[in-house]
Amino acid sequence: MTEPLAESRGATRRFGDHVAVDRVNLSVRPGEVVGLLGANGAGKTTLLRMLLGLLPASSGEVRLFGAAPSRATRQRIGYVPQSLGLYDDLTARENLRFAAAVFHSAPGTLPESLAAETLPLARLPLGTQRRVAFVQALAHHPDLLILDEPTSGVDPLMRARLWEVIRDASDGGMGVLVTTHYMEEAEECDRLVVMAEGRVVAEGDLPQILGEEQVVVVETDDWAAALQRMEEGAMAPALVGRTLRIAGHTVPEVEHALVGMPCTVREAPATLEERFVQITSAASRSKRS
Amino acid sequence: MWAMVVKEFRQMRRDKRTLGMMIVLPVMLLVIFGYAASFDVSKISALVVGPQAASFAKRLHAPFDPVRLAAKDGVTQAKTSLRDGQAQIVFIADKHSVRAIIDGTDLFAARAAEAAVARLASPQALLSKVLASLPPGHVLTIPASELPPKIDVLYNPGLKTAVVMVPGLAGIILVFIGTLVASLGVVRERQAGTLEQLAVMPLSPWDVLIGKIVPYFLVAALDLSIVLGAGMLLFDVPMRGSVLLLILGALLFLFVTLSLGVLISSVSENQGQAIQLAMMTILPQILLSGLIFPLSSMAIGVRWIAYVLPLTYFIEIARGVMLKGTPISDLWQPFLFLGLLGAVAVTLATLRFRRLLSPSPRRNGRPRAGTAS
Repeated sequence: MTEPLAESRGATRRFGDHVAVDRVNLSVRPGEVVGLLGANGAGKTTLLRMLLGLLPASSGEVRLFGAAPSRATRQRIGYVPQSLGLYDDLTARENLRFAAAVFHSAPGTLPESLAAETLPLARLPLGTQRRVAFVQALAHHPDLLILDEPTSGVDPLMRARLWEVIRDASDGGMGVLVTTHYMEEAEECDRLVVMAEGRVVAEGDLPQILGEEQVVVVETDDWAAALQRMEEGAMAPALVGRTLRIAGHTVPEVEHALVGMPCTVREAPATLEERFVQITSAASRSKRS
Repeated sequence: MWAMVVKEFRQMRRDKRTLGMMIVLPVMLLVIFGYAASFDVSKISALVVGPQAASFAKRLHAPFDPVRLAAKDGVTQAKTSLRDGQAQIVFIADKHSVRAIIDGTDLFAARAAEAAVARLASPQALLSKVLASLPPGHVLTIPASELPPKIDVLYNPGLKTAVVMVPGLAGIILVFIGTLVASLGVVRERQAGTLEQLAVMPLSPWDVLIGKIVPYFLVAALDLSIVLGAGMLLFDVPMRGSVLLLILGALLFLFVTLSLGVLISSVSENQGQAIQLAMMTILPQILLSGLIFPLSSMAIGVRWIAYVLPLTYFIEIARGVMLKGTPISDLWQPFLFLGLLGAVAVTLATLRFRRLLSPSPRRNGRPRAGTAS
């Protein structure tokens, strides 16, 4: 097996009494897209900042390319932060020229429509700005690409284009670590690491994360009444179209709650989103208890 | 409306720096205008030289403060003492006449000295009347030390305000660019999130620091040239000393102000805080450095504040070089103090900046807002 590009072993980061990242083990290998999933405050960004060398670990170890994060390791990283890290009063081309000068590389190639753009970035749509951030991060041909919520706030078409870029990069042997809220994006990853309360609560590829988990699906014409009944029975159904999906309960439990109502109750494989909610809710309950 | 008032108070309570500024600034202004802002010169340091120095010195009274008598010194030594700031006025009392030479670079002290010398002479007017009433042929011998001094004003003979203000104004421009503009430039990077991007690029904190400072340095140098050039052309401000020495002083001063700017930016969360902190350092410099109010008129406690302000030393250097032609051998003190202030400021700025860009593994502080998720 190839050596990991980025690795954390028992990495912990405390802020006073608050443990933001708790004994996290994680690795990213060449050609692999690792998705870091977690609700807000789960510790994803803190872990990324530790891997980038922006935050020191309180305990445990963080390594990039087999060494502690340093100025030398930064040459091999491409990073797109949530805030994009671009100068919005410069044009796209000027931003790329600056990054190229810092990395001693050729400036990234912009799409034709952007190459001649003379407006500062602040006046371009967010999707375009994100595209420029990707070009900048990849221009010096890094070995590891770190992306923090890379498609936040962009339309589905642009999101698909950006994921094409990510896929092309990993196909070329680049390791990619990406944090995301979007489950459809998570499904694009080779491997997923789910974080909750600062800890890794699930890890594996999509089938491994989903496992054999099933949810109960209710089909009824009177979904509003069914919804009310189930909420009274301390269930938390999700309304998807005109069907109700209930995680963490069995078919007999749901049938009991809906007794006397004309409806169809059956089991179906859980989606990643449902599995994610289950895993993270269980982690939160376990921490509280 | 009440909800807005309550909300504003809550926000004010959370923004401790603004609250502090709202309290500290009025106190600072009170101190400055109470103890420092005075155009009245109550004491004029005087040096008396020449053979009749001792007898002439007896005639001197307030506001003159005889700091030294030097019977053996001549005009050359007297002018050197005046140039070096050892006194604001020099009296040269020889057998036949008394001459007063005033330092014109200290405008208010110079005007006060002129007036005071005129008052010294006023008993002579009375004596003239007595002489006029004497019978013809009566000879009355008057010692030279009793005669009215002849007044010369050195360095700024017309006592023009522009002549003394332009060198100081150059300092103010350097303070604004160095402290205010530079601090905003760095904070803007921080607010936009580009500072984090710089921190993961293969740049050292020193690269970033110097890279941020150099453009402001060049713009400030250009501004300085324009102001001094315009001052010399439009207001006849002289350049009696070495241009190189002035450039050296300006570079050193700019280095101090830029370091202060970076230091301010490294402790400010946003541009508002940076402006507040920058103003807290700029305002005392404008008011207490001797640019507007003479240092000699300030209460001693306030004067000590002036002595830790970089602009005080730059004004001494700029006026010394431009107006008096003072050589470096007699300006080593302001250069030394500027150097010390610069060393302190750049050390603190570098430490803070390094902390921003590459955190120490030993530290385990709380995160800044928005960094943990």
